[in-house]
Amino acid sequence: MPPPSPATSLTKSRLFLASFRSSPTTNSLQRLAHRPQQQRRANSTAVEPPPAGGHLPGVATSKLLKSTRETALRIPGLKWVDEDTSSMGGRETRKMNTYQAVRDAMAIALAKDSTAVVFGEDVAFGGVFRCTMGLAEEFGRERVFNTPLTEQGIAGFGIGLAAMGQTAIAEIQFADYIYPAFDQIVNEAAKIRYRSGGTFNCGKLTIRTPTMAVGHGGLYHSQSPEGFFMGATGLKVVIPRSPSQAKGLLLGSIRDPNPVIFMEPKILYRSAVEQVPVDDYELPLGKAEVLVQGSDLTLLTWGTPVYHCETALHMLNSPSPELEPYVPASFRSAKIELIDLRSILPWDMETVVESVKRTGRLVIVHEAGMTAGAGAEIAAEVQKRCFLKLNAPVRRVTGWDLPVALQYEKFHIPDAIRILDAMVETLAY
Amino acid sequence: MIRPSRFVQRLAGKATLKPLKHAHLARPYAPSAQNLPKSNSPIVSKLDFFNSVTGDGTQIPTYRVLDGAGKPLEGAELPEMDEAYARRLYEYMQLLPTLDNVLYNIQRQGKISFYMTSYGEEATIIGSAAGLENDDEVLGQYREMGVLLWRGFGLDKVMGQCFGNEEDTSGKGRQMPVHFGSPEHHFHTISSPLGTQIPQAAGVGFALRRDPNRRSRSIAACYFGEGAASEGDFHAGLMLASTIPAPTLYIARNNGFAISTPSSEQYHGDGIASRGPGYGIDTIRVDGNDVLAVINAVREARRRCLGQGRAVLIEAMSYRVGHHSTSDDSFAYRPRSEVEDRKRLDNPILRFRYFLESRGWWNNEAEEELKARLKADVMKAFKRSESLKRWELGELFTDVYGGEEPWNIREQRQELATLLKKYGNAWEPWRKELTKFKNNGEDLLKSAP
Repeated sequence: MPPPSPATSLTKSRLFLASFRSSPTTNSLQRLAHRPQQQRRANSTAVEPPPAGGHLPGVATSKLLKSTRETALRIPGLKWVDEDTSSMGGRETRKMNTYQAVRDAMAIALAKDSTAVVFGEDVAFGGVFRCTMGLAEEFGRERVFNTPLTEQGIAGFGIGLAAMGQTAIAEIQFADYIYPAFDQIVNEAAKIRYRSGGTFNCGKLTIRTPTMAVGHGGLYHSQSPEGFFMGATGLKVVIPRSPSQAKGLLLGSIRDPNPVIFMEPKILYRSAVEQVPVDDYELPLGKAEVLVQGSDLTLLTWGTPVYHCETALHMLNSPSPELEPYVPASFRSAKIELIDLRSILPWDMETVVESVKRTGRLVIVHEAGMTAGAGAEIAAEVQKRCFLKLNAPVRRVTGWDLPVALQYEKFHIPDAIRILDAMVETLAY
Repeated sequence: MIRPSRFVQRLAGKATLKPLKHAHLARPYAPSAQNLPKSNSPIVSKLDFFNSVTGDGTQIPTYRVLDGAGKPLEGAELPEMDEAYARRLYEYMQLLPTLDNVLYNIQRQGKISFYMTSYGEEATIIGSAAGLENDDEVLGQYREMGVLLWRGFGLDKVMGQCFGNEEDTSGKGRQMPVHFGSPEHHFHTISSPLGTQIPQAAGVGFALRRDPNRRSRSIAACYFGEGAASEGDFHAGLMLASTIPAPTLYIARNNGFAISTPSSEQYHGDGIASRGPGYGIDTIRVDGNDVLAVINAVREARRRCLGQGRAVLIEAMSYRVGHHSTSDDSFAYRPRSEVEDRKRLDNPILRFRYFLESRGWWNNEAEEELKARLKADVMKAFKRSESLKRWELGELFTDVYGGEEPWNIREQRQELATLLKKYGNAWEPWRKELTKFKNNGEDLLKSAP
């Protein structure tokens, strides 16, 4: 039996959970009986949490991931940094997950730039997410080293290094723990160039940090703090969605002449796998990428929810029997434009506005809470620039304005059903 | 912060679990173990708390070379210097209050918006500047203008920064007065947030260690007050520079006050110096009113920084004779008599003058000549600076980012330009202000659509 489409499997498992909690009907129990695999999964969850990625059935079969060398080499905006090797048989790609791609980017940065160093808590043995595996052995402990457990110190240390013109690649173990460094990042890193009249800068600083929900991270291993940094002018904030994006955007961030916070969706470290070009390449900062072209509604997101959006698009186009009543037939052929914002600061206003002017509808999806989240900024700017073109209010699908509660995560994150609902309502407005 | 290591390992995947993580729990109990893991602490049977860095419970001593009358203490070694060098030290110590008097007063007249004097800390600042090499990287707090002067920054640039005029190379008029900076003088631009420079200095020190041209030759020197040492960044910085390690000299200016807060409300321990050994850092407390002691301490500390490649701490004890800043009236929290007593009893400039006189290197005539010359120089720079215009108004929008300018900043510049075009003459506060800028804002108006 062929595996169910990602849309189908997600729909059913979520409906099952939802209906079981509210009123366990015969119908849902029958479904349970016919789905022993899902039952096992539910049971095993009680014993031990699933691996990272377990809650994202969309990632495993995502069409957005580059499954072939040809597609990987044709990533939009890709800029090769090294010599053309086409005379030697052309560029190669390798299958990598996200942490391997991040590691690959850092290895290239270290190999090509003798001033580059990588540091943070536990990075020397490979990092708690394996992103720095083998780097200390390859480049030496003077270039890849542990720091004491102090986030404000890590950020300050990196600023000092970068102020001397050296490349500082710092890691904050979880984005949830970046706040002790908030002062160093917002008052110092972001403002050094400006306050010194351009005579000093810390542009060679990049702060990598794992972000977003992971299925069982609770309050302090799930956060998406990009919105807090969106007002820190002087800083760049970048969030990749996949291995090849992570490598290209991280190399772009490391070499960008500005301090960059690079937030890596941690659930994708192992679950997102695709072909990644082996050579040195960069992807542009400040540029969104249109993943699916459409003309009826613009769906804008970044990071993990890209895959929830992909699933929701499948659900809109071919709803499962249970969902059919909720998706009017006329909407099933709707052409939805899916955009990955990639850079939160500065964000690509032109691409988003151009899209919304064409579609007349905008749904923004992010994991962080709604109030003063990045979506608020984007929605305000879009309504200013697209007022006469908008056919429906700008809709935001976000985490609730709550901390990320452990056992409630499935009801907290903006998952496919909530995105589907927002799209249907926006189309129906 | 909680770091659930099991959680992390789960995320990282079973295959990467370190199987021996808790192996020590399975080890049989060894009653003969003489040491704790990761420690050389001797095991004792006597219950004994301690609360002092020194073995006998006294306070950490203060290193001094000259007594209050400028006479070398018995056994004290003077730093190597000739008459010209000693006179130079004295001149720069005198330059500080001369500048402070003028800038303090013109702030009072509303000609500059803010000022902070160095009164009482002249020996600490000039002595440490003299003890450093001129290309050591300095990260200061805000009361260290003397280091820049010692390195030849010049009065025009001091005035330029305080006035925020077109000669402000520290920051194009963007920062408040006394926020100096100059890459060519290896002086990192001052910022107001306290303590932030302390971990940054560890990074600067590490960068120097990694730079083949400066390794074993240059150190990072980081100044901060005893109040700033209460910030978390102090803890972070000293720990990083000692652990990673990095040749970084930390100079704490303990002047007894953080604005109104006396040091007795800032810490309960033995000052800042007592913390150095906790981080494994070579530490000394020095009489900050004794310029020769400061020079000796900084030179030796510098040698240790380079030799060990790790942090060294100096706590320089002095007294903040002036108000915290021009926004502060310190007699609201300390008696005027206390300040007057300190000025009279232990004046760092006077102490060094006595020493110079005892050598026959100074006299009243020289003093009069110096004071008149310094005052004339400062007044000349002040007058010149006062008449200069500001940078172009368009500089409001530059230097936020390196590389391509983001759309929002470009558009906001155009928006202000459009508003200026519309209201530049009609709105009096703008009309008046525009005349202070080079080109009267024409450069910005050009970007109006």
